[in-house]
Amino acid sequence: MRELIGSKWLVLLFRLVVGITFLYASLDKIAHPDQFAHIVYNYKILPGFFINIFAITLPWIELFCGLFLILGLFIESSSILLGLLLVSFTIALSVNFLKGIDIACGCFTTDPNAKKEGAWLLIRDLVLLLMSLQILFYNRDFLSLQKIFLKNRARL
Amino acid sequence: MSLKTDPSRIFLQVVLIVFFSLIIGVVYNSISKEGITVKGNWSKKVVSDSLIVPYSYTKDDPPAISLGQAMTYFQTHNTIFLDARLESDYKAGHIPRALNLPFEEFEQYYPKVEPLLSRDKNIITYCDGTECEASLFLARLLRTKGFGNLKIFFGGWTEWNKAGLPVQKSN
Repeated sequence: MRELIGSKWLVLLFRLVVGITFLYASLDKIAHPDQFAHIVYNYKILPGFFINIFAITLPWIELFCGLFLILGLFIESSSILLGLLLVSFTIALSVNFLKGIDIACGCFTTDPNAKKEGAWLLIRDLVLLLMSLQILFYNRDFLSLQKIFLKNRARL
Repeated sequence: MSLKTDPSRIFLQVVLIVFFSLIIGVVYNSISKEGITVKGNWSKKVVSDSLIVPYSYTKDDPPAISLGQAMTYFQTHNTIFLDARLESDYKAGHIPRALNLPFEEFEQYYPKVEPLLSRDKNIITYCDGTECEASLFLARLLRTKGFGNLKIFFGGWTEWNKAGLPVQKSN
């Protein structure tokens, strides 16, 4: 079991899953910063003056870390950063979940669909978080650019 | 199970990734057509002591009314209240005689609600409270449908309920 969890193939698979997920998620946010800023506002957690700069920066962090994980560069730093983001998303979602705020409209609701959606988002974030931790702790540079760079450096 | 890279090196890399994302984000945002202001104004607007409106409310929107004004209109009978929340919230409790026209499912509900509306009457939209914008968006939509006597009660269900005013439940 331990061997399976730490296997280089599983690390590679998780790197691709987490990397592609964040890369994909970042593109829409970069294309529509106004909509993303509105969603951040709906969470009612960040102070008003910080919302836009957060909405401008966050998608690029996701884009770079996603790309780095796929290419196999700065694997540890990228998985730590994405892990931290996932922890903060999970906290933000849970806080709003407990308060009963529907993130889609930023308002209170008893709509069962909104609850279901919130629960699904929580599960998704937790699964991605576990994958990031696995990538971090079993950091294997199997099929990665950083391995190629390290090899070249050793040769010099 | 251990970090291969020196933690201080990882920390430096993390800081650099965030820093470059910030720089590239701001630069891209400034050249993009979809760009937004770096320092946004997301605070709620306070029109007067008793009137707080969402940030997205502009002076071109239908007038906002306070709880006191909403109560006055409620007593005139020449007024239709429109609850812009979802049906499950409406059923759990709403302003008496209010009709349910959820903003999020407008197309589905509008054909049923339209025959009950009158262009001669005052129409007051409301949703949960100042935190929600469904009432504002519903009022804007209704204006495009040709309704003129629109008003928005931003205090909404929360203020009405807190004030201990009459409520109605539907099954």
